[in-house]
Amino acid sequence: MEEKEITVNIKKYNDKDGAFWKSYKLKADKYTQMTEVLRRIKSEQDPSLAYRASCHMAVCGSCSMKINGIPSLACRTIALQAVDEKNEINVESMDYYPGVRDLITDIDVFYDKMYKVMPRLIADESVLMGENEQRMTPENQTEVWKFQECIYCGLCVSACPSVKEDEQFLGPAAHAKGFRFVDDVRDTKRSERLDLLMDSAYRCTSCYMCYEVCPQDVQPVIAIKKTKNYLDQYKGNTPITIMARKHDDTVENLIETTGKIKESTLFLKTFGFGEAMRDAIDMLKSGKFKYAFEKDSNVKNMNEIKGMMGEKK
Amino acid sequence: MKVAYYPGCASHGIAKDVDIATQLIAKDLDLELMEVDDWNCCGGGFMDDKNEAVHASLNLRNLEKVEKMGYDKMATPCSVCLNSHKVAADKYENDPVLKEDVDQRLKDANMEEYDNGVESEHFIWVLIRDVGIENIRKHVKRPLSGLKVGTYYGCQLLRPSNVMGFESAFNPHSVMDLVAATGATPVAFPMKTACCGFPLMGSNPTVALKMANNILSSARNEGSEMLVHPCSLCHLQLDVTQDKIQRQFKQNWRLPALYITQLIGLSFGYTPKQLGMSRGSIEYLRSRGIS
Ligand code: SF4
Ligand code: SF4
Ligand code: FES
Repeated sequence: MEEKEITVNIKKYNDKDGAFWKSYKLKADKYTQMTEVLRRIKSEQDPSLAYRASCHMAVCGSCSMKINGIPSLACRTIALQAVDEKNEINVESMDYYPGVRDLITDIDVFYDKMYKVMPRLIADESVLMGENEQRMTPENQTEVWKFQECIYCGLCVSACPSVKEDEQFLGPAAHAKGFRFVDDVRDTKRSERLDLLMDSAYRCTSCYMCYEVCPQDVQPVIAIKKTKNYLDQYKGNTPITIMARKHDDTVENLIETTGKIKESTLFLKTFGFGEAMRDAIDMLKSGKFKYAFEKDSNVKNMNEIKGMMGEKK
Repeated sequence: MKVAYYPGCASHGIAKDVDIATQLIAKDLDLELMEVDDWNCCGGGFMDDKNEAVHASLNLRNLEKVEKMGYDKMATPCSVCLNSHKVAADKYENDPVLKEDVDQRLKDANMEEYDNGVESEHFIWVLIRDVGIENIRKHVKRPLSGLKVGTYYGCQLLRPSNVMGFESAFNPHSVMDLVAATGATPVAFPMKTACCGFPLMGSNPTVALKMANNILSSARNEGSEMLVHPCSLCHLQLDVTQDKIQRQFKQNWRLPALYITQLIGLSFGYTPKQLGMSRGSIEYLRSRGIS
């Protein structure tokens, strides 16, 4: 098998020395996984190198790190596919979590968030007593299946911009797990779950980063969006959900009546008169106030729009 | 060349300057933008929060209009509109349960079943793929040499990359290539693909503004004098909203944020005013001898 020499630059870290880069050279062939690269570096060149890996087949979720800046599973990354034109690869620990040593981070905060969403099925008493059967339709199974595939690797949370800025946000993985039970017909705790999830869902900025980095194609952002679909069934109110309700209802209403969104009306209805006026002053200062009065024509064939929006789900 | 054009609500409203610049440079480049007949709002990243099937139907209605106009491609200047149409078409193709619901809605609206034959593209993809960087360079009358421009992509243009498809979600270069074509110096910065926070403005504005500030600071720290972006909603967040950011973070600097076609328009010889820019950008450019 043809082998190539590659250079692996690893960002090492320990409490005493802080973070520093160290380079290693070794040979790899077209099947060499990055976990194997790290194993060889540790056993042949630098016993001090610390990293986690266990299953080597994208199941245990322990080998999460940044490879060339991209949040990745090392075992799922083939070294020769990851090298740049100089045959080099940069490896760092995940963002967001505190560093322990080298590529190992402390992901307790990830587990805490997972734990907060009651990550288990709570079935009906009669089922537990053996008096009834658990049943779900293939459609319902298809709907929740994807969100069940999480391997707790923590990559999505490490890459999420909202988690970094907002401690109250439960983060992508916990939302996927939480929604998986919200939408499971066998579960009995939907409204408690919505109480746990709804405010947090509106702290997600829909940037699709979690979708992009997830090695299991869990698509947490879609779970969050689907959670928001339940807003009408959510009985609670928090400052965030009140504002979101106003905003989303206005969006829906504008589309339903004109087929389009007028941003200035949206601002006014979401933020109220005071804040909208402050925005207007900013626009005036910037010389863009005139655009607030741009009037686009409504959709002509509103029957089509109404037909599609039809009965609300 | 004729292209079906979907401006989107924001660029026909308070981000009108995005539309102005797009139209101006399209004309110079012999791109005839054929506005989509009777288009409707795509629902951006919000309508699917209410109802995925309604969201998908709204987007498919636009794509069906494009099909009826005889085109197989629809260009939009807004990353959010782009993402919305592409994600909707992707779900329609791959989610049979959703497809059934959507088909029923289209039927209720007396519309035909959609055969997924139209590709949505960002206007900058058309610039790069169909017009070509070399061709753009030929139209540059005023090279913007010496101007250091932060190249921002944001989220919706790039992700999810399996649906968006044009370039790497982590190492994109479309905006950089376009900036280089104007003669300006593109500046890559660490947060170039992070979200500007706009989608949170309707629910959690405090965090939304923090995110916008992270982008602007990151670009500035790498030496950008201004920043270009590809999206009419990034435009609102990073341009006019900067005044809010300044207040919230007690900041005494401002980084002019332009839509990428506004920068191209400048290099084609249009004035900042013709391109509909905000006062801050006009003043900054004047201080750099560009007016
Ligand atoms: S889409 Fe939401 S959950 Fe996913 S990374 Fe972005 S902010 Fe985080
Ligand atoms: S959702 Fe995906 S990226 Fe996030 S922890 Fe689970 S497997 Fe990892
Ligand atoms: S070693 Fe288990 S997921 Fe990579």
